[in-house]
Amino acid sequence: MAMAPPPFDPELAAALAAVAGHVPSTITVEWARRAREQGEYGVRDDEQLRRDGRFTVEERAVPGPPDAPDISLLICRPAGAVGARPVIYHTHGGGMILGDNRVGIIGALDWAQEFAAVVVSVEYRLAPEHPHPAPVEDVYAGYLWTVEHAAELGGDPDRIVIAGASAGGGLTAALALLVRDREAHRPLGQMLLCPMIDDRNDTPSAIQMDGIGVWDRGSNAVGWDALLGAARGGADVSGYAAPARAADLADLPPAFIDVGSAETFRDEAVAYASRIWQAGGVAELHVWPGGFHGFEGFAPQAALSQAARAARLPWLRRLLGE
Amino acid sequence: MEELAGRLTALDPDAGAAVRVIAYFDRLAESRVGLEVLVRGAAVLAGCPARLVDEDRRVHVRVEPDGTRRDTTAPPDATWPREPLAPDGTGTSAALWLERDTDPNVVDAVILERAAGAIRQVLDRTRGRARAEDPALLETLLDASADERARLTAAKRLGLDTADPAALFRAVAIRGGRPRVVPAAAALPAGRLGVGPAVSVLELPRSSSAARTALRFTAEGTPQDPGSSIVYADELGDLALLERLVAPGSEPTPDMRALRKAIADAPWMLATLHAVATTVSLRAAAAEMNVHHSTLQHRIAHAESLLGWSLRTPHGLWRLHLALVLRHLAATTHPE
Repeated sequence: MAMAPPPFDPELAAALAAVAGHVPSTITVEWARRAREQGEYGVRDDEQLRRDGRFTVEERAVPGPPDAPDISLLICRPAGAVGARPVIYHTHGGGMILGDNRVGIIGALDWAQEFAAVVVSVEYRLAPEHPHPAPVEDVYAGYLWTVEHAAELGGDPDRIVIAGASAGGGLTAALALLVRDREAHRPLGQMLLCPMIDDRNDTPSAIQMDGIGVWDRGSNAVGWDALLGAARGGADVSGYAAPARAADLADLPPAFIDVGSAETFRDEAVAYASRIWQAGGVAELHVWPGGFHGFEGFAPQAALSQAARAARLPWLRRLLGE
Repeated sequence: MEELAGRLTALDPDAGAAVRVIAYFDRLAESRVGLEVLVRGAAVLAGCPARLVDEDRRVHVRVEPDGTRRDTTAPPDATWPREPLAPDGTGTSAALWLERDTDPNVVDAVILERAAGAIRQVLDRTRGRARAEDPALLETLLDASADERARLTAAKRLGLDTADPAALFRAVAIRGGRPRVVPAAAALPAGRLGVGPAVSVLELPRSSSAARTALRFTAEGTPQDPGSSIVYADELGDLALLERLVAPGSEPTPDMRALRKAIADAPWMLATLHAVATTVSLRAAAAEMNVHHSTLQHRIAHAESLLGWSLRTPHGLWRLHLALVLRHLAATTHPE
């Protein structure tokens, strides 16, 4: 029996209603195609990224995975920073099918401003034109380049935090698994914000929120189908595509995971944190009551959004030793 | 997803803006959210700080357009657009402001109106109903000739705690507004006030009549109208008897005429005579007037010559004080 979903936080619900019409609860392949044609999302204006001269901004093409095209990294470096600064390696969201390396950059820049950190945001190839493993291999290639060139960017290769929201959170979790298994240089921590990590799409929260809020079960199916095609939900899906499928979650960098209680991804995010603990790992989990998917972006001023943002900084501060 | 969907932000004054504002606050009101959320809604949708102040109920909420709470005790700017939270003439200055320094936006009025409407409901629900809202109930409560049961019912409906027989209340007469009734220990409303004695619910007509008397002894507290803006009937004592002797506009007595002549002679005269009559020594009067002791001596000598009596004897000071009070009571620019 489908249980009633948890109510949205009232302030978030009013904000969602006010911007309703931009995104349906259930998107379709057709809607996503049109959204891609019509819109460029994220911060387009470099002046806005520079934040009154606090950052220098450049876009750099670096080698992609073997036999694949170059990838583009958006690099924001703190002006006048002294010594080797922390690095935030950012992977954008957009359901595996939308967006570019300027989506979600505001949050990463906020942290970078707090800690005088370098931000590197990776552009990866999108599904369905480029199914798994193209997106995650692009993210991995960009990470390897960042490790090798961190010093050149004024960054500290031993203090790289990998971070992303939604599909970017899923790709970030997958990156942590790839780095572990390929014995690459470990990141200091992983920030998984409302991460998209389970292609099976059948948790109680996915079922509860079907047809409601933002990025419901139907939208999630569109995203995973694009990434995995017929393999989606089957027995052979790799943990590098859907990290919830990974059999072993031991020996991962410390994780910060947050999610809303009223979104599709609630249960997979909570389960991922639990499995990290069960495997002897380190994770900090925040479940924001009444939060829908991406609530903080829709209503950045709301009390719950302020609290969610504020919770991340102390974790980063402890992790970075700043 | 957020960049794909747009975000809640300051509204451009287009055709749909008012509809969205109304929908936003209606939804918040339905969910019974608190004051901060409503003030934040006003700030976010207007794109400037919003401020709620209700001194009577000790409520101060100020929110920046980025959603952060940042209260202040600085007074609101008189030029900012505002929406009062109580009807005019209830003697309360409670209001919601938009700290808009540029020309008001056409959406501002809708934001203020809808946010203030929702805020009124929250204040009534959480901070007790604003008193003096229903003039008919108040009239009954303060009418000694009204039936006792009717008065008790009116008290209950005005939100007064009538269950405790020891509970005491005061009637407060307000210049330019309807009277109010407040619990004896509660803060007074803003404005120029005559405050009645603390009494039980059924004695409120007496407190009200004393409050009206006390109000006639209040002044603006300016050099043109020196004196206290709040007068307690309890502290007035038998001076209250004078109120019955002198109606506004009544024929001046010889001392009042002499006083009028003196006041017309110099701009400093009224404030100086008031200070001399109401302080315990000439030194204190000089300090209050912020003039040198010798200047005050010269002024007093001049006043004595105009008045025709000495201001250096207890009798002469008492005569001055009485003339000042009678003049004040006879003035026609008075509250009623």
